Amino acid sequence: MNPRSGTGLNLDGEGDAEVTPRLPATAPALAPGDASDIDLMRSIQAGDSEALSQLYDRYSGILKALILRVIHNEAEADDLLQEIFMEIWNHAKNFSSQKGKPLGWMVTLARRRAIDGLRKKQAYARAGERLQAETEQQPEAWVHNATAEEIDFADTRVLVRQVISSLPPAQQQAIELAFFRGMSQREIAADTNTPLGTVKTRLELGLKKIYDGLKELKHEL
Amino acid sequence: MSFEEFQNRSRLYVLGALESEELEEFEEARKTFGQKGEDFIGECYALHEAFALSLKPAKASSAIKDKLMRMVRERQQR
Repeated sequence: MNPRSGTGLNLDGEGDAEVTPRLPATAPALAPGDASDIDLMRSIQAGDSEALSQLYDRYSGILKALILRVIHNEAEADDLLQEIFMEIWNHAKNFSSQKGKPLGWMVTLARRRAIDGLRKKQAYARAGERLQAETEQQPEAWVHNATAEEIDFADTRVLVRQVISSLPPAQQQAIELAFFRGMSQREIAADTNTPLGTVKTRLELGLKKIYDGLKELKHEL
Repeated sequence: MSFEEFQNRSRLYVLGALESEELEEFEEARKTFGQKGEDFIGECYALHEAFALSLKPAKASSAIKDKLMRMVRERQQR
């Protein structure tokens, strides 16, 4: 396996117990009196900057974790986070509550921006590596920055991680590469030296299990 | 394409993991399944949320927030 491929979605060593897969379909519950995400988005659409401030306080940690998981660099993640919230502010009118929830919209946007950033970085790194090879220098190591501070063991996250950790490692790895690296099935097959058909099966089975976990919880709530 | 296969592909589609030939077939099937298909694709985007929520929240810099809010206010004043 390529060393930069990661080791699957459950990198933090928690939630390894075999449990019934359950996934929440929503973010953690709000305190009484807090504006809902939809209310905040409507206020942002109306030009209320205080609503953006509240949305930042609520979700910057989750979005930064997602960006960090893709690009593995604290300073770049901060820059990207700022750009993403600016994009949320500038393009809030594109959000429609009929098409989904605000967090889903923000995560989709953040993931796309982070993967774009990663691809640019990889292209830059490949060019750099070629230059280094020519000058007989060691290629730069892939850096993984841990972000262990302020760990929030909210029930939501624990439940999500339980279902992910219940997947076989090969399925976790395939999903990790697809979601956090933006790789196609062929790219995953090449990266992991695995037959394309096997990659397809791993992705399909893993995603179905996670999706079913989500659905099951939705019915319980 | 059966609806079960469409469901499998929808989950890959929202991750952007479909190969180009699969994508063409998927887009054709999407027309066939109409609103039922669109509703299912919409549900699949919950996977994005789930993956994000599976991560430990990282500490976001207050300086970044200050800069962001300054930029927003400047834009409002223009």
